Amino acid sequence: MRADDRASCHVLVIGSGGAGARAAIEAEKFGDTILISKSIVGKGGCTPMAEGGYNAVLRTGDSCVLHEEDTFRGGAYLNDPDLVRILVHESPERFEELIRWGALFDVSHDNLPAQRSFGGQRFPRTCYAGDRSGHELMLTLLEHLRNSKVHILQEMVVVELLKERDRVIGAVGMNTRKGELTVIRADSTVLATGGGTRIYDISTNSATGTGDGYALGYRAGAELIDMEMVQFHPTGAVYPYDARGRLVTEAVRGEGGILLNARDERFMVRYDPERMELSTRDIVARAIATEIEEGRGTSRKGVYLDVTHLPSEQIEERLPVMLEQFLKFGVDIRKEPMEVAPTAHHIMGGLRITTEGRTTIPGLCACGEVSGGVHGANRLGGNALAETQVFGKRAGETAGRSPSRTGRIDPLQIETVENRMEEFYSGDIPPWTVSRRLQRAMWDDAGIFRTEEGLNRTLGTIEELLAGALCAATPQNIAECFTVRNMCLAASLVVRSALLRPESRGAHVRRDVKQSWDALTSPYSHTYISVYREGIMRREVPK
Amino acid sequence: MRITARIYRFDPVCDTAPRYETFTVDVEHGARVLHFLHAVHERDPGLSYRYCCGTGQCGSCAVRMDGIPVLACMEEVRDGITIDPLNLPVKKDLVVDMQPALERLAGIISGGEDHLLDRDTVETIKPLRGCIECLACVSVCPAMEVARFAGPTAMRQEMRRALDPRDNSDRITEAIRDGLFTCTTCQNCWKVCPKKIEIPAKAIEKLRAIANRMGLSLPRHREVEQLIRDTGRSIPRGKSSFLEQVPEVIEPEGKVRKTVGFFVGCMYDFRLPDAALDAIEVLRRNGIRVIIPHEQVCCGSPLIRTGQLQYLDNLQRRNIQAFTSRGIDTVVTMCAGCGSTLKKDYCTPFTVKDITEILTELGIEEPACLPLRITYHDPCHALHGQGIQEPARILLNNVVDIIEIPQKCCGAGGGTRSGCPDISSALGKRRAEELVTTGADVIVSCCPFCEYQLGEFADRSVKNITTILHEGYREKDRLARVHNR
Ligand SMILES: Cc1cc2nc3c(=O)[nH]c(=O)nc-3n(C[C@H](O)[C@H](O)[C@H](O)COP(=O)(O)OP(=O)(O)OC[C@H]3O[C@@H](n4cnc5c(N)ncnc54)[C@H](O)[C@@H]3O)c2cc1C
Ligand code: SF4
Ligand code: SF4
Ligand code: FES
Repeated sequence: MRADDRASCHVLVIGSGGAGARAAIEAEKFGDTILISKSIVGKGGCTPMAEGGYNAVLRTGDSCVLHEEDTFRGGAYLNDPDLVRILVHESPERFEELIRWGALFDVSHDNLPAQRSFGGQRFPRTCYAGDRSGHELMLTLLEHLRNSKVHILQEMVVVELLKERDRVIGAVGMNTRKGELTVIRADSTVLATGGGTRIYDISTNSATGTGDGYALGYRAGAELIDMEMVQFHPTGAVYPYDARGRLVTEAVRGEGGILLNARDERFMVRYDPERMELSTRDIVARAIATEIEEGRGTSRKGVYLDVTHLPSEQIEERLPVMLEQFLKFGVDIRKEPMEVAPTAHHIMGGLRITTEGRTTIPGLCACGEVSGGVHGANRLGGNALAETQVFGKRAGETAGRSPSRTGRIDPLQIETVENRMEEFYSGDIPPWTVSRRLQRAMWDDAGIFRTEEGLNRTLGTIEELLAGALCAATPQNIAECFTVRNMCLAASLVVRSALLRPESRGAHVRRDVKQSWDALTSPYSHTYISVYREGIMRREVPK
Repeated sequence: MRITARIYRFDPVCDTAPRYETFTVDVEHGARVLHFLHAVHERDPGLSYRYCCGTGQCGSCAVRMDGIPVLACMEEVRDGITIDPLNLPVKKDLVVDMQPALERLAGIISGGEDHLLDRDTVETIKPLRGCIECLACVSVCPAMEVARFAGPTAMRQEMRRALDPRDNSDRITEAIRDGLFTCTTCQNCWKVCPKKIEIPAKAIEKLRAIANRMGLSLPRHREVEQLIRDTGRSIPRGKSSFLEQVPEVIEPEGKVRKTVGFFVGCMYDFRLPDAALDAIEVLRRNGIRVIIPHEQVCCGSPLIRTGQLQYLDNLQRRNIQAFTSRGIDTVVTMCAGCGSTLKKDYCTPFTVKDITEILTELGIEEPACLPLRITYHDPCHALHGQGIQEPARILLNNVVDIIEIPQKCCGAGGGTRSGCPDISSALGKRRAEELVTTGADVIVSCCPFCEYQLGEFADRSVKNITTILHEGYREKDRLARVHNR
């Protein structure tokens, strides 16, 4: 066993986004806590990229019941009711705590937290900090971490969870640049690695959104639910090509932006004549995809999102970041329309958790986007940031409260990792060729519209890719190889789960399935998948 | 689209020295620097660089493109550029050590008020809050290179905390300990900031103002303030004074093309009056009638930069009155510091122009060519403070040979020269040495602080730009006389 860098702690938190940072802050109250961050802490993940905001019931007129109902309806009634209840009830407390820690969310003229309307919600309950809400949340946690005793291992990627029989007892980390291993033993481990829509060709996610956590959890034996539920955001940028998928915030349509196809038709009238552009994300995404598929898109494979009819001042004041970003890319949105197309945004599924944040295997908690169940089949804008705080705290506390133990690290497990590294040095397929093929295959056949045939085709591609021998030219490529393998595994979980669900529900559309039920009367509940079993749960159909 | 660019390569583990490597790769139209790096990485998987969000929100990816810090994910790549790491300790290739600077950015310490802030407070703090911790500012700060200074974004954070009623710890003493008074207010930091956070004006000068209210201004700064109160000038009178040598109205040679007011400033009045006299000659020669109100006083820059604001109103009133009472609509100054202050910290009913601006706008009579190789030192308060760079080149182009050199602060500004003389001289010395290595015969600038500071440290003459033009005219006249003889 070469890996001689060792650490031991009470709680190990993997991932430094909103969920991981919050979990670490909580866990540290109970004992030594190590936080591993693939990026420089605070810079990785999707939390700092979130623009829209954080949902919390804070005003009279709104209520937890209303927020719960909105969340269920948005989630096509696939959400886990216990998790939703906790999300809704604890989100305001967590928000107030962020304020105590120094967060600087916008305040309205009545000196209450400012809240905006977000799609699918009957009350404006999304708290925000301009269009940098996630950044504000992350910065607050980060600054709090800097004042705490949490030990942070920067730019280290976890390549495997360590196990003693069926219990997780820590993880093997690798320095992303040097390829050196660090073995960390922990009484409890919290997985908070975020989402993974980078498995798609077009994605809003940060570079770390590669689905590592789904793969790590799966390999360690944890069960995942609803992995087929991938949210496609209707409006991602199409230019420049290399930055395709970049999120164009929902606020653009909120402010009055209209969608036009290449023939200058306001096509939403054919899909949702009542709500038009302000319809739900899944419907707008499908509408745009259909227009493009049927040849009414632009030459860059997008449609137009136009705000040129709005007064310039309104654009400058309400959409400053969009204006600035597009200007940087050569488009003045006051004078020209933007070109947009759907982009893979969020994975609703993930590790099955209890309300305490426990996964199905002892010693491992999970929180944030890597976990499943909160959002059901479709996430409401603003609920994910709230989720990171509510369940980050809960998972951190559960891990913190767990008893200390003396785990023994199995040298064989480390050897397996080391052997894999050796293999990478002698492989012959560069990791980026694999990720590129994977992303294309996922986009083409496991994207917005799915069929059994297409899904099986993608599965075939994934298996082929997993069988190839990845090559690392230098030590820093080792981490890239591990990541690409995780991407392939995470993708296969999405595809296999999609095959398990014989219905269209929320974000999951099976074109080859005719069904006689809607979300409320569906006979199905969660899909589940683990190394031990897979299937779909049935449920009592409400009368 | 085919792009060729040079990339800095260095692995401290195995390389003895850094080197550049040139790569040519294909990228899509509109590609950013980051996408170019991705393409290079496929060619050479050993290349190290950082990125995460790809949308300008996480601050991982800052590099230098042709010397200037940019976010790689936002800046469009161009053919022929050079990509360097930020000017911070290099870990490998384009990856720098960000930790030491980031660790200084701790959050508020709860202890003060424990509730939601009111709207006004939030709105005041917000402009300091958008920092994505990319460290572009830290990488260009001259003060950090020579002083124990926590740096621009750390000062931004101190101010953000000082403004927050939830944090009742003493931010000022800490900021002073961390080098608050070493900043030269050169404006470098916010010019490269991708989020355009105005750290010198919104953090540093504000922190200094709070320090002042707490009685913590540096003794030397307080002396300057007293001097201004007593004499209207920030420096004692030298051997002579410009104002004492000139009449109030100076008529030009020939037809009057324009009438301007002249704001001389403390330094040209008391310390470098000859340069100001040269400037008047150049204005006269070009048909510009100059009105010089003798009751004008210090612009107040030394007070603003050091946070001593009590007497500022008085100066502003007197200066504005001096020009408006004479019906002047354009005021010209040859001091970059005064110009920046009059433009940004005053609310004037007249337009303010730097002398190089007015001369290029009106166009000048061509001086004779001088057999001189000069290098031009851009004053921070002209380049960053007023965005003036081209006019000096246009004016000098046909007169002398110009050897260009990247801009850097000379260390004279921001009250550093009086308050932290060691740091100021260290910067002055370095800048002077750099300028001398160009091999130029003369160092030319257009700011009395820079000229005086560089004059002290350079073994070469330092001249104002109008002095050069004036010499050009004298040469022209001499040649004409020789010709006529
Ligand atoms: C562009 C964009 C805008 C969004 N806007 C909103 C919004 O307005 N409101 C809202 O509620 N939600 C929004 N979301 C969704 C929301 O941001 C995310 O769901 C949420 O931030 C996820 O938080 P997290 O902590 O679970 O994961 P992340 O923030 O993604 O963090 C994951 C962390 O894990 C680390 N990591 C990953 N793999 C490993 C590994 N193998 N080893 C070690 N570390 C690892 C990463 O470096 C990162 O630090 C948006 C998402 C995107 C992409
Ligand atoms: S103004 Fe100049 S010296 Fe002051 S912090 Fe900014 S870069 Fe540094
Ligand atoms: S202040 Fe600006 S330049 Fe400095 S770290 Fe923050 S964002 Fe970057
Ligand atoms: S990659 Fe995040 S700012 Fe450039």
